[in-house]
Amino acid sequence: MTCERLDELAASYALGAVPPDEERAMSEHLATCDQPHADARELIGAAGLLPAALPPMEPSPALRARLMATVAATPQDHRRRAPVNAPVRAEPRRPWWQLRPLPMALAAVGLAAAVGLGAWNLDLNRQLAERDEALRAVASADAAYAVAGSAGSGWVLETDGQAIFLADALAALPADQLYALWLIGPEGEPVAVGTLTDTEGVAFATLERELGSATTFAVTVESGRVDAPTSDPVLVASLEG
Amino acid sequence: MNDEGGVDARLAERIGLGQTEALGELYDRYASTALATALRVVGSREEAEDVVHEAFVAVWRKIDRFEAERGSLRAWLMTVVRNRAIDRVRARRPRIDLDDADERSLLRTGPNPTWEAALARASGSEIQAALASLPDEQRHAVELAYFEGYTYREVAELTGVPPGTANGRLRLALAKLREALQGSSGAPLAASEPILSEESGR
Repeated sequence: MTCERLDELAASYALGAVPPDEERAMSEHLATCDQPHADARELIGAAGLLPAALPPMEPSPALRARLMATVAATPQDHRRRAPVNAPVRAEPRRPWWQLRPLPMALAAVGLAAAVGLGAWNLDLNRQLAERDEALRAVASADAAYAVAGSAGSGWVLETDGQAIFLADALAALPADQLYALWLIGPEGEPVAVGTLTDTEGVAFATLERELGSATTFAVTVESGRVDAPTSDPVLVASLEG
Repeated sequence: MNDEGGVDARLAERIGLGQTEALGELYDRYASTALATALRVVGSREEAEDVVHEAFVAVWRKIDRFEAERGSLRAWLMTVVRNRAIDRVRARRPRIDLDDADERSLLRTGPNPTWEAALARASGSEIQAALASLPDEQRHAVELAYFEGYTYREVAELTGVPPGTANGRLRLALAKLREALQGSSGAPLAASEPILSEESGR
């Protein structure tokens, strides 16, 4: 794909009217070329205009209900692909718990604390009938911190100094692996605060220490109880703010 | 418009966290445009609703591929709708690898200040009027390409012109659309060089 050819085909590209191979070559060219290709870039996104030229059509109310039911039962690709068996990287580097900010998007996680707890609670109430201790903790939690990452999502709840970790539909692990739970203090040192092996339905574990001054909660996949994480976190929560 | 983009970016973030209610909000914002697009392509309301359903499920599943800094969630969603709608009507042609098509679409769906400004400012009927004001052969080329899923080479075959001419008509059509929508507001959409003003004839 030459620069000239890309400029020539830009409008067809923007309208999705270039054969797949040529389209892929154009995308790669645009991503790597040091020429500005201002005209071509100017046209990208033009196709977004065309749907707006049509009179909007209200879908039947049943469609929304059908969609929400399907979505509730459909795992997202990034959760399905939880890298629980990913090999530990061999090259020397600083451990993730000493990195600031942590390698996962903690900022994005914070958002979940404000939204979604109510809906999640409804689901939880249904599933947790036999786990009264956890349910009481949810109902009376003094603080809730959203936990998210490649293995799923959940909450760290704190009540009267005691903290529990709850997660719904965590990625299942092979029999020889477990989820290790960590609190990371302001100095960046991880402290082991428990393990979790049962991921069926709503999983929970009482943390072995108070949250105290910890700034981060994290979960890694390990082959047993270890003193320090040996792999990247699959779940994290910011405990600050 | 930035606000709209901001709302969509936050929705994408929440969908990425697995919040189904955020997908419901995205649906409430765009389902009627998505259905209109699907219906325009497939022609049957029932089938169009199936397309919209599939498209929103695809966005839910693939949200981790979307990056708000590099794309417009609305534009991507509409392209995902279009990919599925076209796949349904092109039984006579090779089927579309939808996963591949959705990912490719991410790279050519903005965000682009020019078109987003036009979208924010112009009403649906103004955009419709701008489309209607195109010369017949250009409007026809856009409809074949966008709503019927033909490549510029196929548009050329269908309309009996060289591929370069079909490609040139699409280019002129987008240039005129931009110009028309720019004119409707009196404000420039974006500072840019005029794009090709004549057909390449290839």
